[in-house]
Amino acid sequence: MKGLTLAALAFLLLAIGSALALRLYRGNKEFKVFLAAFAAAGLGYAVAFPVTPPDLGFLPAGWLEPATGVDFVNGLLVLALVFHGFWCFAYFACLSPSMGVMVELRARGHRGISVAEALAMQGREEPVNLIFQRRLPKLIAGGYISKEGGAYRLLPPGERVAALGAFLKRLINADTPLAGSRPC
Amino acid sequence: MLKGMVLAWVLVWAWALLQGIVFQLRAPEKAFASMVTWFAPIPVAYVVLHRLTPADLGILPERFVGGPTALSLLNGLALLILLFLTGVLFYYHADRSITVRLLIEMARAPQQRMSLAEMQAVCGVEVLMHDRLRTMAMNGFLEERDGVYHLAPKGRVGGLAGAIARRALAMKAL
Repeated sequence: MKGLTLAALAFLLLAIGSALALRLYRGNKEFKVFLAAFAAAGLGYAVAFPVTPPDLGFLPAGWLEPATGVDFVNGLLVLALVFHGFWCFAYFACLSPSMGVMVELRARGHRGISVAEALAMQGREEPVNLIFQRRLPKLIAGGYISKEGGAYRLLPPGERVAALGAFLKRLINADTPLAGSRPC
Repeated sequence: MLKGMVLAWVLVWAWALLQGIVFQLRAPEKAFASMVTWFAPIPVAYVVLHRLTPADLGILPERFVGGPTALSLLNGLALLILLFLTGVLFYYHADRSITVRLLIEMARAPQQRMSLAEMQAVCGVEVLMHDRLRTMAMNGFLEERDGVYHLAPKGRVGGLAGAIARRALAMKAL
């Protein structure tokens, strides 16, 4: 229980810290902020665990795990899993086009949204859709694709990610042999 | 506590295997509902196994055995649910990632090259939004009336959660 308690505290600090850091961060690689927050939380947990008493001064004796190693690993595992959920939720809540529609509809009150308006929210009228404005520069900077003339070319790292992605899609039966037959 | 952790890991892998077979046999329209349905008996199986099996599961070293049984049971149950949710998220990583989809389309394109127009045709906002609106309506987040989408009660909760998260986290679309 000590591990879980410390993990809960570490996660609370992680969530507050990443929220504050994101307000100050000016780039568009937010994953670095999340990973740094997780590393700091994990380190804090690992440092706090051996230097605090087994009952943390308030845990009942009946709730203590006798195997310290198991308690430590369990807390760290739970911290990692909860962090992963938080990370995914943060990206989904802030960047997902689906969530964007729900947030927009909430702001509109009783007014609904047409398909054309939903498309306009994602920059359909712009030369480069919002979903590409965010992704293409990152893929180029990461060495996954390159821009040659008027076209983009897949590079070996991108090919490996594509192969892994295609494998995972086959596992869940979401693979598509024809381009565009299943939406992104 | 380790007994509960081991049972949770074994059962979540058993569920993942079963779910993989279900997806292979027939890809469901409502993937999340399918995953919840097939996972539903697993926590029950976990509690039954935790009560019926010996404290060391016949394999655990003695130094890892002991401690409060209720803590082991509850901790394992919480871990089981967290592992399930992580599995669900991995499903969505594989199924919904726009970036991965784009790279797959490029890998399949002639000479692995695509123009921006070709990318937007197969993976652009038109394709994406039509699918997302349809999926949200199918899953009860939106209601379509006369070609206009409105928030359903479930969507209102989602919209509220999204609005709070966007305010708290301040991540930019660009």
